[in-house]
This record gives sequence, C-alpha cells and structure tokens, in this order.
Amino acid sequence: MADKKKYQVTDVAGRLAKGFLRSPLTAVLGVFLLLMGYLALSTMPREEDPQIAISGGAVIVAMPGASPKEIENIIVKPLERKLREIRGIEHIYGMAMDNVGIVNVMYHIGENREDSNLKLYDKVMQNMDKMPKGVMQPLIKPFDIDIDIPIITVAFYPKTNSHLDDAELFKIVRKVQQKINAVDSVAKTTLKGARKAQYNIEVDMGKLSAYHLSLGQIMQAVQSVAVNVPEVKGRTADNKLVIFGVKNAIENVDDVGSIIVVQYMGSPIYLRDVAKVSIGLDIQNFQTAKIVVRDDINSSAFSEEHSQITMTVAKLAGTNAVFVAEDVLKVLQKYEKEFKKEGVGYLVTRNYGERANEAVNELMHHLMITIIIIALMLVFALGWRESLIVTFSVPAILAVTLFTAWMTGQTMNRITLFALLLSLGLLVDAAIIVIENIHRHLHSHGVEDKDMDEILIEATDEIGAPTNIATLAIILTMVPMAFVGGMMGSFMKPIPYNVPVALVASLFIAYIFTPYLSLKLLKKPEHKHHHNDKEGKS
Amino acid sequence: MNKLENFIYGILDKKSKKTLVVVLTAVAFFASLLMFPTHMVLAKMLPGKSDNTFSIYVDTPIGSSIEQTKLMSTCVVSVLKKEKEVMNIELFLAQGIPLDYAGLVKGASMKRTENVSEISVNLTDKHYRAESSFLMVQRLRPIIKDTCLPLLQGANIKFIEQPSGPPTLASIVVEVHGENLEKIRTISTNVAKILTQTEGLVDIDIMADEIFSKYELIPDKEKIARSGLSVEQVNNILYLAFEGMVIAHKNSKNSPDQIDMFLILEKDSKSLYSETESALQSKLSSLNLMNVQGMMVPLSEVVTIRKVDSNPMIMHKNLSRMVNVIAETDMVSQLYPLLEARDVMLEEFSKEYIVTKEGFSTYMFDLHLEDKNTNEKFLLRWDGEMKVSLDTFRDLGGAFISALILIFLLLVIYYKSYAISGIVLLGSFLSLIGVIVGHWVANWFTSETFFLTATSLIGFIALIGISSRNSLLLIDFAKSLMEYHGMKKRRAIAVAAATRAKPIALTAVAIILGSALLASDPVFGGLGVALISGTIAAVFVSLLFVPVLMDNSKAMDFDIANHPSEDNISITK
Repeated sequence: MADKKKYQVTDVAGRLAKGFLRSPLTAVLGVFLLLMGYLALSTMPREEDPQIAISGGAVIVAMPGASPKEIENIIVKPLERKLREIRGIEHIYGMAMDNVGIVNVMYHIGENREDSNLKLYDKVMQNMDKMPKGVMQPLIKPFDIDIDIPIITVAFYPKTNSHLDDAELFKIVRKVQQKINAVDSVAKTTLKGARKAQYNIEVDMGKLSAYHLSLGQIMQAVQSVAVNVPEVKGRTADNKLVIFGVKNAIENVDDVGSIIVVQYMGSPIYLRDVAKVSIGLDIQNFQTAKIVVRDDINSSAFSEEHSQITMTVAKLAGTNAVFVAEDVLKVLQKYEKEFKKEGVGYLVTRNYGERANEAVNELMHHLMITIIIIALMLVFALGWRESLIVTFSVPAILAVTLFTAWMTGQTMNRITLFALLLSLGLLVDAAIIVIENIHRHLHSHGVEDKDMDEILIEATDEIGAPTNIATLAIILTMVPMAFVGGMMGSFMKPIPYNVPVALVASLFIAYIFTPYLSLKLLKKPEHKHHHNDKEGKS
Repeated sequence: MNKLENFIYGILDKKSKKTLVVVLTAVAFFASLLMFPTHMVLAKMLPGKSDNTFSIYVDTPIGSSIEQTKLMSTCVVSVLKKEKEVMNIELFLAQGIPLDYAGLVKGASMKRTENVSEISVNLTDKHYRAESSFLMVQRLRPIIKDTCLPLLQGANIKFIEQPSGPPTLASIVVEVHGENLEKIRTISTNVAKILTQTEGLVDIDIMADEIFSKYELIPDKEKIARSGLSVEQVNNILYLAFEGMVIAHKNSKNSPDQIDMFLILEKDSKSLYSETESALQSKLSSLNLMNVQGMMVPLSEVVTIRKVDSNPMIMHKNLSRMVNVIAETDMVSQLYPLLEARDVMLEEFSKEYIVTKEGFSTYMFDLHLEDKNTNEKFLLRWDGEMKVSLDTFRDLGGAFISALILIFLLLVIYYKSYAISGIVLLGSFLSLIGVIVGHWVANWFTSETFFLTATSLIGFIALIGISSRNSLLLIDFAKSLMEYHGMKKRRAIAVAAATRAKPIALTAVAIILGSALLASDPVFGGLGVALISGTIAAVFVSLLFVPVLMDNSKAMDFDIANHPSEDNISITK
C-alpha cells in the first residue's frame, strides 16, 4: 500500500516533466503565470500591517446619583454575569464610577465581528426586564466603529498672520469632509478638535439678583422664543391652499439679546441687560487640538501654536490603502487655491497608504536583490544557463503565490511579503535539486546513448519522491502555525497561509518548467568533464 | 568529491571517530542550551521598530482641570520643539490622538476627561535619520520627565511607541485582584513602588483613580418642600449655572451645523475665590432659585455642604475586582526585569502575606497572597506583553511539536521504519544549536541587544522542514545505492554524503542568501538569523552527524535482493 503510494508520488514529477516537455502550451502557461502575478502585484490591496479582527463592545448604563459601590452592585455585577453567558468572550472588564457603570467585553481574536455585535445586543435586550428601577436605557456601543484605524489624518490650521477663527475653519473643513467622504472606499471620517459656532449667553449673577431674576426664568424665556414649527395650510372658499407659517424668531445673535426676559410694570428687561450675549465658540467643549509645525521643511524654528482640526479618514476593510490615500490627497489638492485664499494651512500628519506602499516596495526590492544574488551564486556553481532556468522559476512561483493570496481575499502587507521572503530560500530548492540532477545526468557517462528527453524526464523523476516528501515535510511544519491563537497568531497568519502555497507551486514549477527550459537551453556536453571520467568511456 | 567521500568514510570506519562526532554534537547542543540561563542569549517577544512617529500620553491626577493638563502638555511640547528631527507636534487635549495600532488597546478612544491629553510627534523620514525612534524616546524620556513632572504633583507622562507586532496594554501589566478595595489599593501602590525600583522599567502607572476631596451638597428635603421648590429644580439650576446647558438651537443656512444657544453663568460670576467650603457657601448664597410663588430663595438655604472624599472608580476584570499597575520596558526584554521585580515582591509581601506561586501555565509568574491576619486572598497576575509572549511561545511550541510529530509520521509512512525517521528528526532538531549560537553571534554585530524573538521560533520551525529535507535526500540516495548497486553500507553512505553535498550546500547557500536581507529587519531579523545560522548547523549535522547515525542504525541495512519492484526509478549508473 505504502509502496504503491510512494511509486505514484514519484511518478508525478516524471509525468509532469514528460507531459509538458514537448507541449506547445508550456511556454504559454509560463507567460500566463507571470501575467497573473503582475496583475496581482499591481492591483492587490496594500496595507502595512495585516488587519486583525478585534471585536468587542461596551454596555453603558447610567444611574444618576449612584455611588460606585451602588453601581457595582446594582448594575455592573448582574450585567457581567449575564454577559458572561455569551460564547466567544475572552475578557469582561467592568467599571463602576459615580453615576454610570460600563461593562466592556472583548471577544477572542478572530471572532466574527457582526455576529459578536449581534450577540451582545441580543443578550442585553433579552434581559431588559431585569433592569433595576431608576436606571436609564442602556447604551450598547460595539467597538468596531471606533476601531477602524484611520489611514490618513490631515491637520488643518490657520496660517500665521491669518485671521481665520476656529468656527470659520470648522466651516471650511466640514465642506472638505463632505467631499472626502464621497471618495471611493472611504469608510469613516471624523473631525478632532473641531469647534462649532454657538450663541453664548453668559449671565451675570450680580445683575440677576439686582433684577430679581432666576436662571430658570432666562431659560424659559429663550426656549419660548426659539422654536421651529412646520408651516400650516389654510383653505380659501374655493378650496385653494394657502400656506403660511411662523418663522423662527431668532435670526441672528442680536435677536437673542433682544429677548424680553420679564416685564416689570411695563418696562421690559432684555436678555442683554443681564447677560453677555455673543456669537462665539462652544466654550463648554474642552476637547481642543493644537499643532506646531515647521514653517518650511528646512527651517529650524517652529511656528507658534495654532489651534487645529484634524480630519481622520478610515478605509473600508480589504480595500487598497495606497489608492484610497492617493484619492484623498487629490481631493485636498483641489482645495489648495481656496485654502490659500482663506489662509488655511494643511498638513498630512499620517499617511498609511504611503507607508504601505513604501513597505511593500522596499520588500519587493529586497526580493529582487535576493533573486539576483541567488542567480549569481548558481552561475558559479552550475553555469549561467542553469542559473537562468532557476531564476525564471522564482518569479513564476511568486506570481502563483501572490495570485492565490489575492484570490483568497488577502492583502499585501508586511507579513505577506515576509512569508514570501521566508519561502524564497526554500522555493528555489526544488528547482535547484532538479537542475542539479539534470546537470549531473548530462555530465555522467553513457549520456551519448540516451535521448535528451529521456535524460531530462529520468533526472526529474529520480529525485521526485524525496523532494516531494521533503517539501511536504516543510509544509507540515508551517501548517500548525495557522492554529496559533491570540493577537500574535492573527498577526502571523499570512505565513502559514502563503508559504505552503509557495512550496507547492515551487514543486510544480520545478517539475514542469525546469526540464522544459533545460531542453531549450542545455545541451549534452561534447566533452566530458574530467571528474566524471572515473570509469572512462565505454 | 572524493576527498569528502574518503573523509566521511574515514569517520564511519573508526569507532572512536564516530563516538567523537556524537560527543561533540551533544556537547555543542547542551552548550548552546546553556546560553539561555547564562543570559548570553536574551529572549523577547518582538524587538522595537524604528518609526517616523511616536506619541506621548499626559495624565494629570483625576479632578485636574483642562488648564492644568494644558500647562503640563505645553511643557512637553516645548521640550520637543528643541529637537532637530521633529517635524511637527500635535497636541490633543482631553482626547486621544487619531486612533493608531498602539492606542487600540490602550484605551485612547475612551479618553474624554479634562485630566488627559495626548501628543503626537512626527519625525523626519527614518531612512534619512541617524537616530532610531526608540533610541530617541529613550533619550528624551528622562529629559521631559525631569522638566515637566515637577509642575504638578501626581501627574504621569508615558511614551508610546508604535508596536512592531500586535499591540498590548503595556509591556508589563500587574493585575492586583482582591475583594478588599482598600487593600488592593495599598498592594498596587507597593507593586508600583517595586516596579519603579526595578532597573529597565519606566513609565510606571497605577491605573486607579486618585482620591481627591470634593463637596457634597445635601438637599434639605423639608426646606425645599416648604419653600415651594423641588429637588430636581435645585439640581438643574446648579448644573445650568456652573456647567452650562444648551437650552435652544437654531437652524442655519450658512453654518454647517445647527447653532446652539448655550446658557451659563459668566466666568467672573461662577469662579470661586478659593477651594474652601466658605467660598462655596458664599457663592451658593448668591445663586437664587425662584419658587412657585415667584419668590427668590438662595440656594445655600436649602442645601448643606459637606466635604467628602471622591469615590474612585471600581474596576473589574472577568468578574473580580482589580487594579492594574503598568510599566514599559526601556530597551530591554520584559522577561528579566519581571523576574527581578517578582523576586523582590516575593520577599516584600511575605512579611504580611502567605505567598504561594502559580503552577506551570501561561500564568506561571502569578503570585497568590493570603493575609496572615484576616485570611483575605489576593492575586497578583502578570498580564500584558509578557502574557501574550508566553501564550505565543506556548502556541508556537505546540505548533513545533505537532510539526515534529507530523513529519515523523510522514517519514514512517515513507520509510516504514521508526529508526530512520528518528534519525531524520534528530538531525533536524539539532539545527537548534545553530539558531541559538547565531543569535549570540548576531548580538556582537548589533549596537542594541539582539533578542531571540517569536520570529526566531518561526524560523526554527521552518528549519525543521528544511534540514529534514537534507537528511531525506541523503538517506534516499544511500538506500538506492545499496539497493541497485549492491554497494556496501558504509561506502554507500559516504558516497551519498559526498554526492549530495553539492545540492545540500547549494540550497543552504540559497537559503542563507535569501535570508540575509531579512536579518537586517528589526522585526524579522530573528527569523533571518535563525534561518542563516540554523542552515549552517544543519549542513554540518546532515553531512557528519546523520551519516554516523545512519551507519549505526540497523534499519539502514538494505541490499539488492530485498527490493521487489523493478519498474521503480533507477539511479544514475
């Protein structure tokens, strides 16, 4: 049984060599493989680090006026117990603070994100009836929204000597954000450090007591004026519609100041009498952002501190970071004139697209260098024709591997390329072993009597069995790595996924193309090498 | 070729020489293993990677104002401004920098309080910069801390570098679990103190809220009811006065968002003249509420002020109360400081607690504490990068063992002999010598410590396959020589080794050259070095050690007659 298996495995090498040796399609296949590889190389999504599927979520339950210990007992502990029932959760973190309890769940790495979120919602909703009295509606926030890491961040700031205020800057950036969101494959954009325009009513407490007023009255006065109502329809005698409506009484900031808070004996007290009413920024928002830049790249001094708005741009999963980044930057360039006019400076503070491209190109560069070095070594060891044959097999194998990776939805990232670099040393092996055996056969005695085809097939077939087994052994070492868990496992996944593919490809390429190319390039030596003349010509 | 053949034959022919080879190999193996306990080769999960950016987290004590946080952050920025390689500095107050790989697990997206800020520092391109980002951080850390930390008692500044592998909360995380909240606070303070004293650890932080004093306004329900007010009204007006509220909004044609109308007390009106209770009292007395009869009631009339301590947040992990203490490593592996700190802890805590160690698992560094008086139990759990490393090393170790078993089974199927399969496997395993020695040698050539990392292990696993290929080709060839040519066993092994030496050397050189560029990479350097040095060792092992074993093994006795198949491949005549 095992004997038979061994025989058949052995046969694959010879059969492939035989089948493709004289086939006119072999050359076409070779060109086709290289083309596929080129296609994959140019269109495959590139990113720097592989995406790790982290799923989790937070359940936030507010209970105003409760102390941490109360929250712990009433909210956090029961919630933790319930959430623990969910399958696939690795850790549960509970936080009991004044007024609010938060329970974070982290799923095992690699759990399906959509399912995980659904399970979390489901569990909370199922147990709504067990909610203690006096707590507010729980908020469920899956992490994935916050977890999409932006690939581009752009800081917008008013240039030195520009009189742009923060609210105007926000207006401009908001406009740009709308356009950026329209770019293909852009997922989420956010603004950090944005300040909104707002009417600030700052009440003077002294005046308040002087006029005998309370804050509540001011609130009511403003709320009663600033209302938006829909328009109403009236009908004429002959059933025609007449549409009319009350306009919002507040048009601008002066209108706010003119609100009558109260009337004393017919003399009105306006809001502006007791409060400073101004149009300004959202003063209650302390989440601001600043930036210092070098005015130009070579200047040694930094600019003064500007307030800034950072726009973050995330991409959809599985899309090409390089292309998305380029598109986003193009949109920004279109605004350059307007920015100049308004005095807006902008600076790309993060560009993962560029970094991904750099990382990928650098590794491709390394691959090329390595291939050339190996080719050179083979020239000395075997001769330039043999070296050429092996060198061809490398791009062909890489092409097959890249194409397979592309088809299975992987992206080209640091780890994928390292998998290729790692396998590079291994995948020339099969070709080297075949070519070395062919070389040895061609230079051994009795070669004149044999047909070239026969020598090639025999030489290939001969080392077939041990090479297959050895390659299988290397593949077997890689496979268990796919089962390594946790972050590191996820991070390393491209290695067990791609190295086996590359190795299998290396076998087939070695069996198909090495004999084929040998037939075209190598000839039986006219004169024998002296070291083969051990037994003399017969 | 003949030389090599004779050389090997010479070894095989003399028993003393054979023994010498075996002994030498064994010595080399154990000597290389000894490099771990003697710290000649240091282990770490992943080394640092030079990047074009790093970030700084500034945490002022809970209850600090945004102005205090800003003061602190501006100080950090002013130090950074002196650096020539810094291109721009972004400061994000009361929020995290745009999410990155590091911030993902460090909770950067959750930050929204006044006492935090993050600074993102962009550097010049790493290809044109002499100083790597991690060295720069190492240099700047003491400067910035010395300049800025004295500004505010209890503040903390942390330096965050982009991780080269998967991100973790911190290099070293000590979780202090226990039911008694006060006790776990004291224990965690002690843990933090020990970590601070440990060499190589920096940025130590206890992830618990500081306790600060605050004022509680206790509503006098009777007075409130009698003066025609409600508790809700009291709450609302207080909030409105000091925090402010958006009370109305207006839709606008020209503004991108709705315009809010925000009501608050004027800055001068709401500011207190000091932190004292009387200051608060006098402020509240001038804040009036209107009751249903339209009369004004000062707020101070209906509440009493009491000074209390704040309630710190209670953290749970996996349903048990705990406090995290975190620390980063300063250019060293986290393993060695961890062990050092753990020894100190063992000593320190045995004074008050009965300390027991955890058994062998990925939590093997954990300490269980039991109070000698009260019998309360506490747990010191090591998490963070150390835990991830242990998990990874365990999983990779498991992967490695399964790889060995799989190869063994494959060989047994192929050769139908346990002995031959054992030889191949043993030969492959010995490439470990090369891997370890390789790291030791690589350490000479690099300015920073060259660690044995997770990628080195991956390289080692791949090596098993590669070197088993060498032995396989050798055995297969020798077997054919014996079966088809009737060669004597010893001669056949020597011929096989000599003939196969060329392709073995060629593929080895290919692997070495292929991995040469890997070796210069900070992250995958370990893999490169493991492959290069392991392959060299594998060549020697398969050309010298494996033939000796083959010669000694009875399973290698093949002769012409016992092979039945004729249509099998023929070997070169």
